[in-house]
Amino acid sequence: MAFLLIAAAALSQAAASAPIAQVKTVTGQVVIERSAQRLPVKIGDPLFEKDVVVTGPDGAIGITFIDNTVFSTGPNSQLALDEFQFDSNNFRGSMLADMRQGTLAVVSGDITRSAPGAMKIKTPTAVLGVRGTTFAVQVYGDH
Amino acid sequence: MGAITIDDGKTVTTLDQSYAAAESRAGSSQPVEESRGNISVIFRRAIAAQPILPHHFRLYFILGSDELTPESMTLYRSVFDDIKGRPIYQIEVIGHTDTLGDLRRNQGLSIARAAAVRDRLVRDGVDRDAISIAGRGKLDPIVPTGDNVAEPRNRCVVVTVR
Repeated sequence: MAFLLIAAAALSQAAASAPIAQVKTVTGQVVIERSAQRLPVKIGDPLFEKDVVVTGPDGAIGITFIDNTVFSTGPNSQLALDEFQFDSNNFRGSMLADMRQGTLAVVSGDITRSAPGAMKIKTPTAVLGVRGTTFAVQVYGDH
Repeated sequence: MGAITIDDGKTVTTLDQSYAAAESRAGSSQPVEESRGNISVIFRRAIAAQPILPHHFRLYFILGSDELTPESMTLYRSVFDDIKGRPIYQIEVIGHTDTLGDLRRNQGLSIARAAAVRDRLVRDGVDRDAISIAGRGKLDPIVPTGDNVAEPRNRCVVVTVR
C-alpha cells in the first residue's frame, strides 16, 4: 500500500513538471506568471500547467501545445493555463484555459479528438466548449 | 467542420458556421452579426502573433527495412524544408509497420524506422534534442488490416513538425 502511494506521488510530480507548450513568437512586453513570480519570456521557452500569460499594451505571444493546439494573444491580455493533460498515444486528455482579458486566437489540436468537452475556455461570463475548429475570443470591459 | 458552444450558465449558444459570432454579457449570451472586417481588426495582433501551424508528413519504407522509398526520399526534403522554415521547432517521429510477421520484430522495426528518420534529420543539421521518436509496431496501423497482411501504406513513419 505504501508503495502505491509513493508511485502516485511520483506520477503527479512528473505530470506537474512536464512542459505542455512551447513559446513560438513574442513581440513587445510579455511575462509569464509562475508560482508568484513574473518571468521574462523568449522564443523556445517551455510553458507549464498553471502558468499565466500576460501581455502589455504592445505585447503579443504565440504558443503551440504538445497536442498541436495553437494559441495566440494580442495586447493587454491575461490567459491562465489552468489545466492541461494529454497522452499522445491515444489522444486522450483535457484542457481548461481561463481567458481573463484581451484577445485570443485558437487553432484547435488533437485534444479535441479525445471526447466532447475535452477542451474548454473559460471567460468571465461564459464557458466555451471547443470541437475541432479555428476561432477567436475577446474579453473586454468590467466584469 | 468544428463548432463552439457558449455556456453562460443559463443558455447554450452554438456557433458552427464560418465567421459566426456571439456576445456574452453577465447573464445573457446571443449570436450577433460581426463583419469579417471588424473581426480582422479586433484580432489583428493576436492573429499576427500566430505561430506557423503544425504539419504532418507520412514517409514510406521498403518492405522489412528502415530504408525510405524513392518517393519518400523526395518528400523527406519537404519535411526538412518545413523544419528549417521555423524559428523554433519540435518534431515527433512515430514509426509503424504492416502486419506481416510477429509483434516483437515489428515493434523493433517501427522504432528503427523512426530512428532512421531522426538520424537523417540530425545529420542534416536538425537539433537532436528537439526530436522525439516512438514505435507503434504492428498494433496501430495507418490502414487497418487483418493480421499477416502486406500493406505498403503501413510501412511508414508519421512526422509531426510544430
